[in-house]
Amino acid sequence: MKRAIRIGQGEGLVLTANRLLDGNIVWRDESGIWRPSIAHAAVLTPDHYESALDSALATAQKDAVVGVYEVVVRPGRPPQPVSVRERIRAFGPTVHPQFATELEA
Amino acid sequence: MNAPVGHYLYNAADRGFLGERIAEFEGQVRRRLEGSLSEEEFKPLRLMNGLYLQLHAYMLRVAIPYGVLDSRQLRKLAHVARRYDRGYGHFTTRQNIQFNWIRLEDTPAILRELADVDMHAIQTSGNCIRNVTSDQFAGAAADELMDPRVHAEILRQWSTLHPEFTFLPRKFKIAISGSPQDRVAARFHDIGILARPSEAGPVFRIFVGGGLGRTPLVGQEMFDSVPEERLLMTLEAILRVYNAYGRRDNIYKARIKILVQALGIDGYRAEVEQELARMNPDHYRLSPETVEAIRARFAAPDLSAPEGASDALARDRRDNPDFARWVRSNTHPHFAPGRIVVTVSVKPAGEIPGDASADQMDALADIADRYSFGEIRVTHLQNLVLAHVAQDRLLALWQELQAIDLGDANHELIGDIVACPGLDYCALANARSIPIAQKLSARFADSTLQEKIGPLRINISGCINACGHHHVGHIGLLGVDKRGEEFFQITLGGRADDLARTGAILGAALPEDDMVDAIARIVDRYLSIRETGEGFLDTLTRLGDAPFKEAAYETV
Amino acid sequence: MKRFDLSSPPRSGHDGIAVVPVDEMEESTRAVRLTPETDVEAIGPALAALDVVVVTFPVFRDGRGFTQARALREYYGFTGEIRAEGHILPDQARFLHLCGVDCVMLPEGSDPTPWQEALTLFSGSYQDRLGLR
Repeated sequence: MKRAIRIGQGEGLVLTANRLLDGNIVWRDESGIWRPSIAHAAVLTPDHYESALDSALATAQKDAVVGVYEVVVRPGRPPQPVSVRERIRAFGPTVHPQFATELEA
Repeated sequence: MNAPVGHYLYNAADRGFLGERIAEFEGQVRRRLEGSLSEEEFKPLRLMNGLYLQLHAYMLRVAIPYGVLDSRQLRKLAHVARRYDRGYGHFTTRQNIQFNWIRLEDTPAILRELADVDMHAIQTSGNCIRNVTSDQFAGAAADELMDPRVHAEILRQWSTLHPEFTFLPRKFKIAISGSPQDRVAARFHDIGILARPSEAGPVFRIFVGGGLGRTPLVGQEMFDSVPEERLLMTLEAILRVYNAYGRRDNIYKARIKILVQALGIDGYRAEVEQELARMNPDHYRLSPETVEAIRARFAAPDLSAPEGASDALARDRRDNPDFARWVRSNTHPHFAPGRIVVTVSVKPAGEIPGDASADQMDALADIADRYSFGEIRVTHLQNLVLAHVAQDRLLALWQELQAIDLGDANHELIGDIVACPGLDYCALANARSIPIAQKLSARFADSTLQEKIGPLRINISGCINACGHHHVGHIGLLGVDKRGEEFFQITLGGRADDLARTGAILGAALPEDDMVDAIARIVDRYLSIRETGEGFLDTLTRLGDAPFKEAAYETV
Repeated sequence: MKRFDLSSPPRSGHDGIAVVPVDEMEESTRAVRLTPETDVEAIGPALAALDVVVVTFPVFRDGRGFTQARALREYYGFTGEIRAEGHILPDQARFLHLCGVDCVMLPEGSDPTPWQEALTLFSGSYQDRLGLR
C-alpha cells in the first residue's frame, strides 16, 4: 500500500478512504474516527504518518472502510490537497457545484 | 404484454434467471459485510455486476443490451435516478447508462427494481464478455443489409455467465453491425462482427484484436464468412485461445489485441482452426430453430406512413430554416417510405455530454410512446435515437425535444463531443474531461457556425484508458497528469469507420486552461485553409498536420 | 485439505492418491497436477493411464483452469476425476462443474455452506437454453 510520495516544504499528510457501505469519501481525524469532511482530518507530519496509516489499514475492515491511503495537503482550515484529484475528492465534482461536499458536516 | 419493438421480450425463464442472479449478488454483499469475502475478492464479483467504487461513491452501470430500451425501462431508469441517485444518469460510449452516487447497501434493491422491467447490470464491467453493442440504426437504416439485433441478443444470452469465459485475462468487448456503414467501430473491438445475408442464410465477417486504451490497434479480419450455425462455435474457439494464452502478468498487455499482435493474425487464426477441428460442431451448433425462436420474441412494428408524409416534411423544412438545419444534421434515411430515423442530441451547448435528468428521461419516454413505438436507443456517441418517426410528425417531435433541451442540431458536428466522466467522477482519470467539453460546446453553440464547420468529431479522454475514444476523434484530447496538474495531449486524424485509424499526436501536452483556445485556433485554421467541399480530415490529409500544429502552439 | 464434491452423486474418491507435477510424471503416475501454464496437449498421451488430474488456481481471477478442464473432457475424452485446487471462491462452483471439474479441495475447517448454496442457486443456464453442449 505504501507508495513513493513527494512532500513539499510545509506540506503535511491526511488519511482518506471510502466507506464500504455507501462508498462515501471519509477522512481520518485526530482520534482515529473516519469523518465525511476533510475539515476534520488530522494533518500528520511526514515523519509520523506511517504509523497512523498502518493502524488505519489494520482496522479498515472493522471500521468498514476500503482503499485507505495518504494525501499530501497544505495545512489550513480546511487542509488543501495539493493535487487536482484530491481537491475534487475533498470538495466535490467541479461540474456539479450543487453536489459540493459540506465541509462542516 | 406485447413484445417490445426493438428488443427481446423476456419470458419466465429470463425473469427467473434475473431473480437468481440478484440473490447471488445479495449473498456476495452479505459475505463482504461479514468479512468472509475480502475487498480483493469482492471487487471482481461486484464489477461483474456493474458496481464500481469511484471517486465519490459507488457507480452502477446498467446494461442496455445492443443499446435498445423501451419507454417503461426508461421511466424505471428515471425512477432509479430520483430515488437512489441524484436525479440524473449518464449515457456511456458503450450504449449503457451509469449512476454516479449509488450506495452499496441499496444495490440489491435497485437491481430488483430494474428486474421488474427486465433490466440488469450483468457483465457491464469485469474481466468477462461485456454487454454487446450494436448499430443504433439497426432495423431502420436504409443502408442496412441485415438487422443485427437478433444475433446481438443471441450473443447476450450466450455470453451471460459463460462458465468458461467469466475469468478472462481482461475485459472483452463485442460489437455487431449489419450495415456496410460501420457505425459500431467494429475494428476497435476485441471482436467486431459484420453480419450480412447470403443465399445460404446470414454470414458473419469477424475482426479480432482491435481496441483503444494504451495500445490502440485496428482489428484484423480473422474470417470473412462464418455461417450462422458456426457463429458461436467460432467465438468460443477465439475466446478459448485467448483465455489459455492471453497475458495475465501485466494488466496493460492482457487484452486480446496484444495476443493477436504477438501471434500475428495468421498465427492466431491457425490456433483457432486447431480448436475448431477438435470441437464437436453438434455441441456448438446455433440452429435455425433457436434463431427463429428468439426472433419471434422481437415485435415487428407497422412501419407504414400516412400518404403524403414526405411531402409534409418537405413543406415543413421549407418553412422553417432552423428545423431544416436540425433535419440535415440529426436525421438518417429510413428504409420505410415516409419514415425517418432521428438522433436526439444529448449534448446541449454548455452541458455535460451524455447526462440526462430524470425529468428528461420521463419526458423522452412519453415522446417515444407517441412518436416511435415506445422505443429508444442509446448510441456510442452518447446520444439517443428514435428510430421510426413518421415524416409528417417530425416538426412536432422536434418542437417537443426543444422544450426539454434535447433539440440541438449538432449530431456529428463540433458540438457532439464525446467525453468520458474524467477526474470529476472517475477514480482512474488524470484530468477532467467534462469541463473542456462544456466550454467547447458553449463556444461553438451557434448551429449555423457548426454546420459551416461541417462533420467534426471531438473525443476527450481523461486518461490513457481512452473511455472517451480520443484515438478515433478527428480531434482527440487525452488528459495527462503533470505533478498533480491537468494537461492535455492533442491527436489529429483518428476515425472509427471503415477507414479506421488512430490519430497522430500533434505535440507536447498543453495546460488545461489553454485547451479550449487551442482547439478553437485549430478549427479557425481549418476554416481558413480548406478548399471547397473539403472536410476536416480531407484538409488534414492534403496538408498534413503542420498548419494545425502551428495554430495550436501559437502564443497570443 | 477437505474435499467438496461438485458432482452429485459424487465420483468415487481417490482421496489418498499421490499427485505429482507434470514434469515429474512417470509410467506409474496415476494423478497429476497442472499449473495454469500447462498445455493440456502435453499430457494428452498419458491421460488414459491417469485417474486424477488437478487444475490449479493461483488466484481466483486466473481462469485458465476452466479452459484446461474443458479441453480434458472435450478434446481428450478424459473420464477420470478432475479436481480444482488453490484460491477458488464458492461463486465459481457452478462454472467449475459445468467445465467438467468434479470436486474442489478446500482448506481444513472451511464452511461448505456457501458452496452448497452456489450449486443450487441457478435453475438453468443460457448456454443450455441455446442448445449448446
